[in-house]
Amino acid sequence: MTAIEPSAGPASSSQLARERAVGAVQSFGAPIVLVIVVIVASFSFPTFFTATNLTNILLQSSFLLIVGIGMTFVIVTGGIDLSVGSVFALGGVLAAYASQWGWVAALVVPLVVGALIGAIQGALVAWGGMAPFIVTLAGLLAVRGIVLAITNGGSTTPLITDPVLKVIGQGGLAGIEWPVIIGLVLLVIGIVLLTRSRTGQGVVAVGGSENASTLMGLPVARVKMSVYVLSGIMAALAGALNAAYTSSGVPVVGVGMELSAISAVVIGGTLLTGGKGSLIGTLAGVLLLGVIQNIINQVGSLTSSVQSIVSGGFLAVVVIIQTVLSRQQRL
Amino acid sequence: MFLSERIGIHAALANPAVTSTRKLVPMALQRTSRSLVAAVGLAATVGLILTGCTNTGTDTKGSSSGSSEQTVKASDGPTCDLATYKGEKIDLKDAVVGFSQSEKEDNPFRIAETQSIKDEAAKVGVKKFISTNAQSTLSKQISDIQDLISQGANVLIVAPLNSDGLEPALSAARAKNIPVITIDRKLNAEACSDYVSFLGSDFVEQGKRAADQLIKGTGGKGKVAILLGASGNGVTTDRTKGFVDEIKAKGSGIEIVAQQTGDFARDKGQSVTEQLLQSNPEITAIYAENDEMGLGAQAAIIAAGKTPGKDIQIYSIDGTKNAVSQIVAGQYNGVIESNPRFGPLAFKTLKSFLAGDPVGQDIIIEDGEYDPDNAASKVDGAF
Repeated sequence: MTAIEPSAGPASSSQLARERAVGAVQSFGAPIVLVIVVIVASFSFPTFFTATNLTNILLQSSFLLIVGIGMTFVIVTGGIDLSVGSVFALGGVLAAYASQWGWVAALVVPLVVGALIGAIQGALVAWGGMAPFIVTLAGLLAVRGIVLAITNGGSTTPLITDPVLKVIGQGGLAGIEWPVIIGLVLLVIGIVLLTRSRTGQGVVAVGGSENASTLMGLPVARVKMSVYVLSGIMAALAGALNAAYTSSGVPVVGVGMELSAISAVVIGGTLLTGGKGSLIGTLAGVLLLGVIQNIINQVGSLTSSVQSIVSGGFLAVVVIIQTVLSRQQRL
Repeated sequence: MFLSERIGIHAALANPAVTSTRKLVPMALQRTSRSLVAAVGLAATVGLILTGCTNTGTDTKGSSSGSSEQTVKASDGPTCDLATYKGEKIDLKDAVVGFSQSEKEDNPFRIAETQSIKDEAAKVGVKKFISTNAQSTLSKQISDIQDLISQGANVLIVAPLNSDGLEPALSAARAKNIPVITIDRKLNAEACSDYVSFLGSDFVEQGKRAADQLIKGTGGKGKVAILLGASGNGVTTDRTKGFVDEIKAKGSGIEIVAQQTGDFARDKGQSVTEQLLQSNPEITAIYAENDEMGLGAQAAIIAAGKTPGKDIQIYSIDGTKNAVSQIVAGQYNGVIESNPRFGPLAFKTLKSFLAGDPVGQDIIIEDGEYDPDNAASKVDGAF
């Protein structure tokens, strides 16, 4: 007994420690890469690590962060939401249009419409049994069409003059802009919801195995429906805040935003196959995209084609690192 | 951000200048092989393929020859000076100049525009020149401009992606009293307060002049189809308005039989024209709101077994080398220029503004035009 214990103990505990370390690196992979990139950039560019520049990056990233929170929930269930860019644009146009009736209307109208679009898509996925990719692709096209239809083919831009809404978009508290504060508060709520609540556990379980979840008596369809509603609300809210920020509901915003949001979520360590996800990772993914863009601008002499190569290459490297780490953990 | 990649790749796949030009070569060869024009045409088309690969080089040569430097047509409106704008006096040589481009440099207009600004910055010898590209994303243009400001830009040259929505960027510049010159697209904002001045073409006038060329070329009669630019774009609205109004006023024998969008893209221009030629075989002329769509229309006309330039005339706006050399080849009828070489004029304006002199709030440039009479001699000045 005494002979076995010491030999078994260290062996299993060192293996456990190694697994734990790799696990930590994987779930904190994106934050770690983010820190490294920020440090390197700070030493390379004198104008990078300045208060103005860092708050700029935060503000620029806050809208994508809000969209990314909803997207994380959807992807954890094993789904995908391609409609967020269009819903983002619709949210902005509706907010600007409704701002003539005051700031409450400007926030409520987009949220209700966003929830409704999410509910329709969610119902088709959950009860219609259709592929999320196709359902939300249809959503992407149809909602963009609605945006163009209500703006005269994209030629009218409703403007925001409501002072409260302008403060929400452009003002701040203690030097931090409201969109950033709202994004971070939603992130904290999201983390609590995903990791500490029954609903969140249901979301993870459905993504892990739908059949097992059904057998366990989880309301699978309801869970699936709810994540699309959440995603629709988040995208519309981000759009409304962006409209407040730019003082106008520009119809052409958000084109391709779904891909940025998905990239950020995946960089953050959430598995596209579902069942595992991290909102802190999503935050890091969003910030990474913002920082990379900022660094490209700091260089200031790259042509648009080189910029694309750099950001594409970076995304590839991050995904490769993620994959290698998760493979090690499985072994 | 990464969303731009998708758009970029899509554009590259869907609209490769090289593939569509290549398609043209055997056709052009077949049709006009007997005349001398064929040799010229073939040489021009082969030239296109070559310039397609080494675009930047040719453009640099073109702009440094100065053959088509922008000249001011009208600047008689209100002016703006440093004191009114509350800016600081600074020598351009000590200034950090930031340039925010709106769209990818994947079309001749944007390539020539960026190159011209870059060249002139080097020529003037500014302290530092930083350029960014919003890749057709409004939020990216806002962050680009904010990034430029946080990098210490003293003056900004902005090619706005959209007339609205840049407010946060403009107010960031305003907060630091940084002068902003906007080029090629006008902002819905207050000149000399939100920005200093606007430099650009008169797009309505361009449409009007295209109509004049078309009326002259067709003898004032025929059935015309319009290939519209991207919807929701002010340039499209203006070029349509100028053209349609002028046809109404002076071309009573001309009937506009169709108006469809080709999104300013060559492949779209081609497919739309293919459909139009099937549904309206009686079309005798096409007005395309940019050269790329006009070249697409040309390919569609050839595919339909007709001769572009003769059976069906083509008129467009931009002044790219690709289109102008087709006029030389006799397969295209007219091009109204929209001069993208903003560098010299933008820096000249900045220089006088920073020296304290008043500059115009609306500086409208003079655009040239190409027709079968002058195309051969002026093709080298095209971009």
